[in-house]
Amino acid sequence: MELTVTKKVKANILSTSISLVATIIILFVFLYLVGKDPFEVMQKMLTEVFGTGYGIGQAIFKATPLIICGCGLAFCFQASLFNIGAEGQLNLGVFVMSIVAYMFDDYLGIFILPIAVAIGFAVSAFWGFIPAYIKIKRGVSEVITTIMMNFISLALINYFLIEFLAVKSTVRTEKILDVISIPKLSVFSDYFEGSSANLTFFFAIALAAATYFIFYKTSFGYKLRAVGLNPKASRYLGINTNKMTVIAFMIGAGITSLVGLNFVFGYKGYYEYGFSNNLGFTAIAVTLLAKNNPIGIIFTALLFGIMDYGGLSVNTLVPKEIMLVFQALVILSILSFDRIIKIYYLKEK
Amino acid sequence: MLESIITYSFFMQVFRMFTPYYLGASAATFSERSGVVNIAIEGFMIISAFSYAAITIATQNPYLGLIGGLIIGILFSLFFSLFTIKLKINQIVIGVGFNLLMAGLAKFLMLLFFHSSSNTPGYPHIPRLPFLKSIPMIGDLTGDSIIIFALLLVFISQTVLFKTRFGLRLRSVGENPEAAETLGIKVRLYKSGGVIICGLLASLGGIWLASNQGSFSDGMVAGRGYIAIAAMIIGKWKPMNIFFACLMFAFFESLEIALQISGSGIPSQFVQMLPYLITILVLIGFVGKTKPPAADGIPY
Repeated sequence: MELTVTKKVKANILSTSISLVATIIILFVFLYLVGKDPFEVMQKMLTEVFGTGYGIGQAIFKATPLIICGCGLAFCFQASLFNIGAEGQLNLGVFVMSIVAYMFDDYLGIFILPIAVAIGFAVSAFWGFIPAYIKIKRGVSEVITTIMMNFISLALINYFLIEFLAVKSTVRTEKILDVISIPKLSVFSDYFEGSSANLTFFFAIALAAATYFIFYKTSFGYKLRAVGLNPKASRYLGINTNKMTVIAFMIGAGITSLVGLNFVFGYKGYYEYGFSNNLGFTAIAVTLLAKNNPIGIIFTALLFGIMDYGGLSVNTLVPKEIMLVFQALVILSILSFDRIIKIYYLKEK
Repeated sequence: MLESIITYSFFMQVFRMFTPYYLGASAATFSERSGVVNIAIEGFMIISAFSYAAITIATQNPYLGLIGGLIIGILFSLFFSLFTIKLKINQIVIGVGFNLLMAGLAKFLMLLFFHSSSNTPGYPHIPRLPFLKSIPMIGDLTGDSIIIFALLLVFISQTVLFKTRFGLRLRSVGENPEAAETLGIKVRLYKSGGVIICGLLASLGGIWLASNQGSFSDGMVAGRGYIAIAAMIIGKWKPMNIFFACLMFAFFESLEIALQISGSGIPSQFVQMLPYLITILVLIGFVGKTKPPAADGIPY
């Protein structure tokens, strides 16, 4: 038994590293083909990101929401629920969160922060409850419902924003009082001067640690993973799979709303339409690459954060959209190498 | 108020909007009938719309753009079948990856080639058909070869799927691959066939959008690939029903545009979300029962 576990762990590490190397090779060849010098791009990126505290701070700032959203998605993925609706779930939650915060910030001061966050969490959780409920009651795949609900939630937000809540001729809500904010890292150390990285990063790490603990050290986590691995067998073991589906979806969707801590309270002070910039989809790549392991998610999110800011920093050499291609290639190669290693290394069918 | 919206040009608009929906929805149908779920219709539309644009700009020949766009569609469907049929990876996850890849590639290449993050320069559209374009009243529709093809496709796909040996085998592979295999049908070959037809039709939808708009812009496909999948579900995987579902969605889209222009006070966002809302309601079972092919989405 011990032996098979280590072999599985080895296989996981093997497939993650092979896919990363393969992706980078494909990207290099691709850059070369379109007439760019891949080594120059790589070098510029590394010096820009790691050369200054600002660069590192920005990479951390970009990684923070990915860790949070990744943990939320991991709750669903561990239970084999393919939640593609994070984009809609987190937008709706963060939207409501920032409205609540700026409406009551005068009366409640800093106390509005936990209240607003709790309400945002509840809204996202509710948005996650719908596909879960439809799945257990009607057997409809969560994939289709969550895709459809992404569009619905964005249209809803757009409506309320444009018609009632946006500051004139913008697509953002009004600014929350400055006192209600999460301190930037630059407050504590001049090293991060100018970057938007804030204390939410440490919250994200703590969240990942807590999620890890729940998955692997509690009976709830055991049940969650059992449902994901083999729903039929779990039912025989007396696990209420329907209940687990609903709980996993609600907690997972709820957690995605916490990215608002980083953007709204840690950075801008308001909700802006399109702030998430496909965060809900990028987080799918982050989570898959980490094999749904929350500790792994910290590292893959940091990698994507580095790539994200790195992409911006090499924009003069090559369009930053190269990072979109990179993310997609990571997803595709991790999936294929997982499969190939399963067939040829673990000899599974 | 309704009279001011439902006009002759509105009617024409509905049939124009119908075209990419129907091409995308029949694309998805061919793939799912063979048992492969392809949620990357959106991506296929984007990448071939961009290919049409880029090639037409480079060569100033829209026919080369058309052929190039279709070839790109086929290439990506070959990749798609490699991942989903040969390696048997979860089709939905692969679909998400493909959507990200194709949308990302189009964005990246647009910046690289045309130095703009919003749109490409203009280019000629696919020439109108002689004679047919000069039919009074409906010349705008009948002169467009892809619109004509989309309308004919209702009968073509109905016939191919239900009246030919290929269609019967394709469907049997999607319903019960084990049984099909026992009867000597090459399951993977038929699945690949379904996926390639899917890529071709979805690409044609993207090409039509690009040709019709006269310049490729970021976000121009605007979720039509997903609405196409919704239309397929509502149409219960049947070409004739899908035709009506697509007409309905085309009607909503045209209505949304008309409402925006007329400033009627009815929020366009609600019309915008109708297709998605209706799809969910259909799936829940409010509007009749839906049943996908029995082995849909299961690798074989």
